[in-house]
Amino acid sequence: MTAGAAPAVTLRGIVKQFPGVVANDHIDFEALQGEIHALLGENGAGKSTLSNIMTGLYRPDQGEIYVHGVPVAFHAPRDALAAGIGMVHQHFRLAASFTVAENFALGTHESRGVRLELGGIERRVSELAQRYRMPVNPRARIWQLSVGERQRVEILKALYRGARILILDEPTSLLTPQEADNLFATLRLMSAEGRTVIFISHKLEEVMAVSDRVTILRRGRSLGTVLTAATTPRELARLMVGRDVVFSLKPEGHTVGETVLLELRELYAESDLGTVALHGVNLQLHAGEILGIAGVAGNGQRELAEVITGMRPRVAGSVAVAGIPLRGADPRQAIDLGLAHVPEDRLGTGVAPSLTIADNLILKDYRRPPITTAGLIRYDRVRVRAGDLIERFDIKAVSPQTPTRLLSGGNVQKVLLARELSGSPRVLVAASPTRGLDVAATESVRSLLLQAAARGVGVLLISEDLDEILTLADRIAVLYEGRVMGVVDRAQADVEELGLMMAGSAR
Amino acid sequence: MRIERRLTTPRWLRVVVPVASLLAALVLAGVMELATGHDPIATTSRLIDRGFFASGALSATLVTATPLLLTGLAAAAAFRMLTWNIGAEGQLVMGAVGASGAGIFLHDQAPVLIIPAMMAAGGLTGAAWGAIPGLLRAYFNTNEIITSLMLNYVAGLVISYLIFDSHSYWRDLSTFTARVFPQGKYLGPAASWPALGAGSLVIPFGFLVGVVSAAGLFVLYRYTRFGYEVRVIGDSRAAGRYAGMRINRKIVAVMALSGALAGLGGASQIGDFRHVLDPRGLQQAGYGYAGIVVAALAQLNPLAVILVAFLLGGLTNAGYSLQGPDFPAGLVGILQGLILFCALAGELLVRYRVRFRRLMVAPA
Amino acid sequence: MKRPALFAVSVMALVGLSACGSTTSQASPSASAGPIKAAWIYVGPTTDGGWTTAHDKGRKYVEQQLGSKVQTTFKENVPEGPQVSQVIEDLVRDGNKIIFATSFGFQDAMDAAAKAHPNVFFEQATGYKMEPNLAEYFGAAEDADYLTGMALGAASKKGKIGFVAPFPIPEVIREINAVALGAQATHPGATVQVVWTNTWFDPTKEKQAAQSLLSAGVDAIGQGQDSPATGDAAKAVGIPWSGYDSDQTQYAPDIWQTATVYNWGPYYTKRVQAAIDGTWKSGSYYGNLADGFVDIAPFGKSVSADAQAAINAKKQALISGSFYEFAGPLKDQSGAVKVPSGSKLQLTDILTMDWFVQGVIGNPKGA
Repeated sequence: MTAGAAPAVTLRGIVKQFPGVVANDHIDFEALQGEIHALLGENGAGKSTLSNIMTGLYRPDQGEIYVHGVPVAFHAPRDALAAGIGMVHQHFRLAASFTVAENFALGTHESRGVRLELGGIERRVSELAQRYRMPVNPRARIWQLSVGERQRVEILKALYRGARILILDEPTSLLTPQEADNLFATLRLMSAEGRTVIFISHKLEEVMAVSDRVTILRRGRSLGTVLTAATTPRELARLMVGRDVVFSLKPEGHTVGETVLLELRELYAESDLGTVALHGVNLQLHAGEILGIAGVAGNGQRELAEVITGMRPRVAGSVAVAGIPLRGADPRQAIDLGLAHVPEDRLGTGVAPSLTIADNLILKDYRRPPITTAGLIRYDRVRVRAGDLIERFDIKAVSPQTPTRLLSGGNVQKVLLARELSGSPRVLVAASPTRGLDVAATESVRSLLLQAAARGVGVLLISEDLDEILTLADRIAVLYEGRVMGVVDRAQADVEELGLMMAGSAR
Repeated sequence: MRIERRLTTPRWLRVVVPVASLLAALVLAGVMELATGHDPIATTSRLIDRGFFASGALSATLVTATPLLLTGLAAAAAFRMLTWNIGAEGQLVMGAVGASGAGIFLHDQAPVLIIPAMMAAGGLTGAAWGAIPGLLRAYFNTNEIITSLMLNYVAGLVISYLIFDSHSYWRDLSTFTARVFPQGKYLGPAASWPALGAGSLVIPFGFLVGVVSAAGLFVLYRYTRFGYEVRVIGDSRAAGRYAGMRINRKIVAVMALSGALAGLGGASQIGDFRHVLDPRGLQQAGYGYAGIVVAALAQLNPLAVILVAFLLGGLTNAGYSLQGPDFPAGLVGILQGLILFCALAGELLVRYRVRFRRLMVAPA
Repeated sequence: MKRPALFAVSVMALVGLSACGSTTSQASPSASAGPIKAAWIYVGPTTDGGWTTAHDKGRKYVEQQLGSKVQTTFKENVPEGPQVSQVIEDLVRDGNKIIFATSFGFQDAMDAAAKAHPNVFFEQATGYKMEPNLAEYFGAAEDADYLTGMALGAASKKGKIGFVAPFPIPEVIREINAVALGAQATHPGATVQVVWTNTWFDPTKEKQAAQSLLSAGVDAIGQGQDSPATGDAAKAVGIPWSGYDSDQTQYAPDIWQTATVYNWGPYYTKRVQAAIDGTWKSGSYYGNLADGFVDIAPFGKSVSADAQAAINAKKQALISGSFYEFAGPLKDQSGAVKVPSGSKLQLTDILTMDWFVQGVIGNPKGA
């Protein structure tokens, strides 16, 4: 960033209200040309709303927007794009049944003609991918890609469309440290080219590592902008959450038991693409143990969780819960054997979004007494349970009859965990359980996992957040291209070595 | 101005909106009538009078409402799980085939045996016809919208075949008139479903069957394990799978249930009204497709289906009453369409809100 | 929608009643002041261009003839079934004194209504049930069908005629046989290929059926359907076409031949007048070529003068009784002699006809 650079995008007095919430309350914000500007805040602080206003997805109730000093009014994302503002959303906006290249063509001039010139697009996608070290197959269909791969496509798409001002909404949440470093290098390259990067995050380390300046948001208000070099993580954290956060959540003294609760032997499975996703996985999980599965998104984590919980058929190998072998692809048997599951896709798989909290809390044992007797659901008991669990797990909801989709991400996750853990499971498979949650919710989810392990539950923690695994796990297995690259005790774990394994270069 | 989804719906809206949309419908219809040279007040009062208040109108409305009630329930039962059964038409026809077959077979039995047998036969044939697209969906992943729709045509051909193209069990071959013009065997008086009289009001037995079915469906979907599974799967198939539900079986079961309700509608056509398998009349009426409209207007709520079917029945009858040389059927259709449109638009207002930006920024 | 009615007559003939019915007593609506209200119930839309259009023309004819003495109304698109009873009740409530129903499927409801409303006159086209206040009416179409077939045969170059047919029932089979025999009279060896639609009125289906025949190579086409959709298909390829129920020249004047038509107007006028006069009597009217109730529509411009002359001559022969189309020798589809030379089909035979004459391509059992 050069001193005295011209403002690229300026917001003045932005107000945006949603029913019952003021998401943005008179926010002033300015990002300069050629700078990497971090927008820091917890979930719900108003970061996403603000970026949606900058990209024309929302219209502010009040306030002005200037791009390069010129007042603008965006009626649609297309307008923002024309002004050179591109965005990579946290929730991807890709057409699932189209290929990567087709998604690039959507809404651009290439799609105007009768025939799509996909060959050219594919070539340019490959070039971009190579240049920014984010490999994707331009012919793959979006639904076939992992969450992490989809995000790469989103980042590349914004670059492809020539955005001069690029907004990234928590872009590193799915990347390995190496990939994140690569991304940061890319971002620095872009800022050196004179582009502006607005980087939304709640991770202090990366904000410190990559940004020139930081604007901190809390509860819809801006607390001001500071030079990154002139601040500390601790100060930022205090500004962001309004209190000092205790970062390290170490499990108290080792209580890993001898009993093997989950045993995977020579497990093979296919991805949706039909490629080999799991390649002879052998793992053992003991009572009271948290086994972390580290790895970059798309290396078989999703398939591993799904095969264990019976949601995906396996090609070969065996899964045994407390010594009892699982039949293939039968989630009901997995449930009956005491396999709890916090899926990657919470709202949609883990809960039925339009059903009430109370209804979702019985999703796993609705078919048995005491919930069901003689084919009838005992709603009196359902209500009692809901009240009890909402209190015990501190779920913030107006009432047990609130549709679950109206809850915040953290509360949805609490509903899920309340249900899964209250069913006295033997094993808990938790896939990215804190992804997208704010600091407070992340903390409570983590402590719930620790408490479960302390009660003797075997926890398989699948996470792309290496810090999380280091914080929680007793042992760490690294998954790379469907193989276990190695299993290490946390005590002996070395971040460098883990990162290398995640990149497939050590064993 | 923009339209946003409401997160919550105020209770008063639930009352005000239906009333307001009815008024809006009457105003729009009035404009329409003035434009075409009809007296709006006379037309509207005739519409309401002949639909519901004239002597015998209520009984007539129940007759028209009966099949709409059962096909409306059929659609609601399936749509609740996002299983798109468009085949109530064919399932009703097959239900009529089953019920009339049972009625003919048991012709010398007592009503107490024949009538339940007709209901069972109608429900079962309808269920079987509905289970076909269900099985195809569940085990071959075939789009049930298309298969159930195509089976409507197949059912039409089956019933035509039974009466026109073959010497089937259903066809009357005994009399001279039947040889001149093909027709089904008429069912005996013992197979006529009892109509319940309450003063001047006559309630078809089929309507009562429909009301009981609606209550049953409501309880089934609201209070039972089966209903819970339907609601979960209808909301998110992935969540249903995650919870260990047997989704494929549920699809077949719901399609069969839906088909059974439509089939009961067909049985009622035979037992209550027609007393003969009548290929042309059954197909001409289009009850199955109308049932989709009924279910949509009732927001898939089985109890609301009763009300909507009743109102739509009255509207249909009143529509015929309005018709005449200077009031063509097309204009009647437009009026009926306007009323339905207003009802749906009102529903939209309950779920969404219209926001006018900066309309009232003037200081107080 | 329609019909069979021939047999209503015949039923009566068979049980020894006189054809132009009379045995039934007269109902007695009081001739009140003001115009009499008369109503028609149609199964299709008045714009169907065929069956219902013809009836509605008859209704307008009544208005024209009786002027202020009558006030008419109609209900269209009434589905057969329970709806009919409600429409009838509604009409009675509106004060209609005479009600005509024009589809066979309305008969049961008409019969029930007649019993419930002794002071209203009911008239059922193409049916057979009778009450003191329920009469029946229709006409013999096969003679006119034969003449239509002559026109098609004369127009066809290869002798390959197509026929879009509603239902495989005796009435329609009789019609097809008459058309085939007429065609063979002007074009020896002509064939008539049949496609069943299983509907009286469904323009889309009718057109598809016509197109399937045209693509099978027929070079003239006729129909027993109620809409002019067959003509629409024929017009696209310029193939001669004969219609049904109404003069449908306007839909395709260049290819129009002729059609069997019914003149409902005079009958309706007579009956409404009788109701006004208090002389209405139940009965069963069965019109024919001789009394003008059944006729052929005006010839199209492409019908040759020779053909017109031949057809007109044959029409006179049919009226005078010197010619009968269902006289032997008649062979069936297999070539077997069905009616030997010197004998002819009797009324009951043609009423229950379930076989095709030689030269008809198709299955008389349907499909």
